[in-house]
Amino acid sequence: MATSSRPFSIERMPGFSLLALTCFFALYMPLAPLVVYSFNAGDNIALWEGLSLRWYVAAWENDLVQSAAIRSVVVAVIASVVATSLATMVALGTTRTRPYRGQTSIYAMVNQPLMVPEIVTAVALLIFFALIKESTGYHGYAYLISAHTAFCIPFAYLPIRARLEGMDRVLETAAADLYATPWRSFTRVTLPLLLPGILAGAMLAFVISLDDVVITEFVKSAGQDTLPTYMLGQLRRTITPEINAISTVLLGVSVVMVTIIFFLSRKKA
Amino acid sequence: MKLMFKAVLSSLMLVFSGIAIAAGELNLYNWGNYTSPELIEKFEKETGIKVTITDYDSNETALAKVRAGGHGFDLAVPSHSHLPIWISEGLIANPRVDQMSNFKNVAEEWRNPDWDPGRQYSAPWQWGSVGVMVDTSVYDGDINTFGIILDPPEELIGKINVAPEMNDVISSALLYLGGEACSGDKELLKKARDKLVEAKPKWKSMDYGVIEKFAGRDLAASLYWNGAAFRARLKNPDVRYGYPKEGYSLWADAVVLLKDARNVEEAKTFMNFIMTPENAGLMSAFARYANSIVGSEKYMPEDMATAPEVVVPQEFIGAGKFYPTCSPEVQKIYAAIWTELLK
Repeated sequence: MATSSRPFSIERMPGFSLLALTCFFALYMPLAPLVVYSFNAGDNIALWEGLSLRWYVAAWENDLVQSAAIRSVVVAVIASVVATSLATMVALGTTRTRPYRGQTSIYAMVNQPLMVPEIVTAVALLIFFALIKESTGYHGYAYLISAHTAFCIPFAYLPIRARLEGMDRVLETAAADLYATPWRSFTRVTLPLLLPGILAGAMLAFVISLDDVVITEFVKSAGQDTLPTYMLGQLRRTITPEINAISTVLLGVSVVMVTIIFFLSRKKA
Repeated sequence: MKLMFKAVLSSLMLVFSGIAIAAGELNLYNWGNYTSPELIEKFEKETGIKVTITDYDSNETALAKVRAGGHGFDLAVPSHSHLPIWISEGLIANPRVDQMSNFKNVAEEWRNPDWDPGRQYSAPWQWGSVGVMVDTSVYDGDINTFGIILDPPEELIGKINVAPEMNDVISSALLYLGGEACSGDKELLKKARDKLVEAKPKWKSMDYGVIEKFAGRDLAASLYWNGAAFRARLKNPDVRYGYPKEGYSLWADAVVLLKDARNVEEAKTFMNFIMTPENAGLMSAFARYANSIVGSEKYMPEDMATAPEVVVPQEFIGAGKFYPTCSPEVQKIYAAIWTELLK
């Protein structure tokens, strides 16, 4: 009993740092060569021929990459905005009410895209949208955007819900006591407090939409290649470091977004 | 003089009205990184038709999307192995490619392939073969045999790669043993399995992306495709491509008109367009595979027009054959052999 009076902490378990380091190494090591070879001067993804930014320039100047990137961002922005609005409403509806029957099943339904294998959703959407496309003749972006919105909802929902559950109800009750209408107490009290959660959810949804391959590949109509499906198409033939350069940029965007999400959700109000 | 002026003017008008009529859209559904941007630019300039390209990464993906319908594509580029499925399932229309004005440029041997008899459905895109790559500075014996992979000479042991493609690997073993690809002969399939299992310890890897490894001399032989062999030789001049004399398989991709295409005339214009030597040359110059159009070599980069990997030397032409997808029963046996091989 004389050893330590400090409280139990997992960080002081034997081998903790070693295990953590191994995990980080296993997670991030495979990305290192990808990033390194994106700066390769030669046109090979495994033979180093010197440092250069030529593949970044090549990717930047490639019309197909440009249009695919713009398309990806537009789809991701619309899908994440819509998904986040819906997720906010669902989160309010599942936390700011008295418990009601079916609440758990709503929770399960909202999170369904996390459980159902992506390929199943993709095939289902392919068949379902094909029917609509054939009967209406409309081939626009609505299909891609609604599919992306659907699978982004749980990713936006989870941080918002977590934030709502951690928030002190007393403030809302106080607003109501002071004769604020429900709408006013929502806009003046709940929403400002919830905002970090909403932003974190929106960014997570954005990243998820930006990275999606399987569903996009099956749902896209003519001329709707996004950056990931464009990259997938390249793999069949020789891969040049241009793909590494695009991947590195995508990786950078994801890392920046996740970092912002971390800082947003860390602040406990 | 006035008459001359009038003639020029009216012919100009004809040209421009032709453009006005043809001006439209075209949606091409093709393998990624396979369509020459210069080819498309030239087509758009000449016809005024705006082309949109969408990528796929496998025959199965393309087939699944087109089967579901409502895809919005006009043209697709399936491989010969899958083309009969597209025809028999009624996914494609018959634009009578054989009656198009540029069909006369199609080489004799490409006018009546087994997988599109009479060549009514498909306009030729590009083709290639499955053979062996060898670094001749390591081994300078006969390379025109699958024995390089299956009964490798001493010098090559431990330096061999095999493309991880079930059909190509097992079919090559069957051909090596004197059979045919997709053969239903159980005895022969058993022998092919034994041969592969016996040869595997002598291999180094089963991977894609061999070009850099030949360039770095990490590999000395591989079962692979001709286009990659060509590019590897440009990096390592000792690399040669062997056309196995026991027989080797060929593949070809071809442009087909989808039944539910909305831009049928534009699509037919494109099919006819790619059958001129100049345009076919542009196509090959980009993707670096051979096409089926007579006289297109003139429009390819010089290193390519003379490459034995692209232009099959006369003595090896006979051994190459197209094989359809295997029957479901044989496919099952292939899968069983493959699983055992990968263990």
